[in-house]
Amino acid sequence: MLTELLQGADAGGFVIIQDSIRCSGRHLLKSFINAALHREEAVHVLGFEVDEEELKDGVKGSAIDRVHFHNAYTDPLGWTDHPAFTVHQFCLEELTHLVKQSSHSRPATLVIDSLSWILRHRSPTAVCKTLHQLRKGGAVRAIIALLHADMHQKGTEGSVCHLATSVITIAPGMNGDQAVAKITKRSKSGKVMQDEEIFNINEDFTVIVQSKLGPKNTPTEEKEVDPTANLTFNLRLSDTERKAKEKLALPFVFSKEKKTALLHSGPGSGRILYEPDSNDDYDQEDPDDDLDV
Amino acid sequence: MAAPMSGVGKPSVTSFQKKTRSKLISIAGTRPSVQNGQLLVSTGVTSLDYLLGGGLAVGTVLLIEEDRYDSYSRMILKYFLAEGVVCRHELFVAAAQDNPDDILQELPAPILDDIAIHKPAEQPRLSSEPQESLDAMKIAWRYQNLPKVQSALASSCRFGHYYDVSKTMEPEIRQAAKFHRFYVPEHPTQSSPTHSTMPESYSALLKSLQEVIHREGFDLAAPMSNSRNILRIGLHSLGSALWGDDLCCHDNPKNGHSLTTFLYGLRALLRSSLSVAVVTVPSHLIQDRALMGSITRLCDNAIALESFKGSERETNPLYKDYHGLLYVRQIPHLNCLASKLPDHKDLAFKLKRKQFTIERLHLPPDLSETVSRVSRGELSGAAAVASACGSVTSGNKHLDF
Repeated sequence: MLTELLQGADAGGFVIIQDSIRCSGRHLLKSFINAALHREEAVHVLGFEVDEEELKDGVKGSAIDRVHFHNAYTDPLGWTDHPAFTVHQFCLEELTHLVKQSSHSRPATLVIDSLSWILRHRSPTAVCKTLHQLRKGGAVRAIIALLHADMHQKGTEGSVCHLATSVITIAPGMNGDQAVAKITKRSKSGKVMQDEEIFNINEDFTVIVQSKLGPKNTPTEEKEVDPTANLTFNLRLSDTERKAKEKLALPFVFSKEKKTALLHSGPGSGRILYEPDSNDDYDQEDPDDDLDV
Repeated sequence: MAAPMSGVGKPSVTSFQKKTRSKLISIAGTRPSVQNGQLLVSTGVTSLDYLLGGGLAVGTVLLIEEDRYDSYSRMILKYFLAEGVVCRHELFVAAAQDNPDDILQELPAPILDDIAIHKPAEQPRLSSEPQESLDAMKIAWRYQNLPKVQSALASSCRFGHYYDVSKTMEPEIRQAAKFHRFYVPEHPTQSSPTHSTMPESYSALLKSLQEVIHREGFDLAAPMSNSRNILRIGLHSLGSALWGDDLCCHDNPKNGHSLTTFLYGLRALLRSSLSVAVVTVPSHLIQDRALMGSITRLCDNAIALESFKGSERETNPLYKDYHGLLYVRQIPHLNCLASKLPDHKDLAFKLKRKQFTIERLHLPPDLSETVSRVSRGELSGAAAVASACGSVTSGNKHLDF
């Protein structure tokens, strides 16, 4: 599922990468950026935690000019006179303006590094509202955010993840360079899919999925047992026997005309009016359904 | 049991009219409770109606504590609204995350009988059908033309209907219902309302509700006319961050009493009008259990849903037939001393295509070898080693014949 997410978030998607101090999610974030650049999209990065060079390190050649880095690293709270991007500018109007002025006709992906930083300086309700409006607004096609799970109260983290369409939780893996990703994806129809994968990130930020650990509910396959086998008597029908069975004239089988005459009975025949009450919570799964009579 | 028919275009089978007592208001889709005479409406899920004592009393609030991914609580809300459409009640939907119009688009299709109320095109089809369907049933051909559902009454006379989740309700049926909406992003709030006890969205919602109730004549104080109707109110995900409430975000919320104040106002509004409300709250995000307790007390009926998806219970073989557990937190006692709580506390639910079933969860008998019995085997095993004449092997410790 990780590769699907990387290859194309559907429009209006909101992906949250949850990491912790044990395992950083920034490499996976850079993989997402690279994948978006591959798709010829414009990427807008709100960088609060690392500076421009470090984030752009690893992005190849010509794609660099499609990455618009909004520098919130040098002066995020606006202490100097001319801040590049402050945390107070994280609201719908400013962000839409920012995105529209730099990416002309391409679909834009907004990458937030990191959402934890914004949550520490703005109220969670305002942040949630802005994210929700951004998703519905249409100025950006997809939003990818990094969230440090150990920095927030459970309620805050839960509220923000509740808004997301996919949440990827990263934990350290067995080997040094491997990590385990637990992915929860909510589709538009309300279905929830979960997966757990071990992955590796290369030098050029492509992700290799090593193996899938989940999904946890692997259905156990049961072989269909043929009940007519291994019996001392014969329960099967040969072809001639089956044809004879079908040819058999059943009692009370009438000709077509008589059937239609009987079916379209005239008015005045008795009708049964029945109102099912609470005891008749009827069940469609009739156990006698499979009787092939 | 004969009942008056109100289907359009259907010849009335009986001329028997039930003599209605003048005291009880007879509104479509409601019936008096057998326990305390309250007017009840169906929630749309017949098993839930049974748990709540026959249905939801008019003038009360049902609180649904959402499951983790809000799939089943949303489903129950949709059932509630779909029931309102089928019974010709009016609807009021308020939501912060999804547009109320989108919620209405997703309502499940009711399983109606083959009575052509809304689809006049169905009648000519019936005459041409017997040609091919005569071959369909070889032995039971007399039953071919009868509708599949046993009941032949028009659907709006029944209490509680069944819905097919795989199909959405047809637009003609949906548009016949009157619908009021409240979508939070459409009511912009001024920034920094920190001095008020309620976030602006809640007070705006209460005002809107009051205005709708008064304007459409659901007030009990309004003069009694013959045609009264019920207003069904569905409030989705109240208390979440998108309503402007920090109840779910902080462990010690600043305006912790905003939702409780709102619920108090809502209940007062409902008690004086012919309406019924279903409220869903994402309780898994609320860390303060005492606050959750007071929210439960302020609503009349309260149930909680816990879905197995994503938890370790998913692989537990005990739960393999079900989608989640259901807890009944509270049942009101209206005009009586005590209410009838359901007998069994362990309830599990399952969303099937045509029904949302709530069943009692029982453990299957434990037939495994490791079931704990009085370990006489160990004693006899020790003795057998000494005497060396028994056939006790280590695997058969628990079987003693």
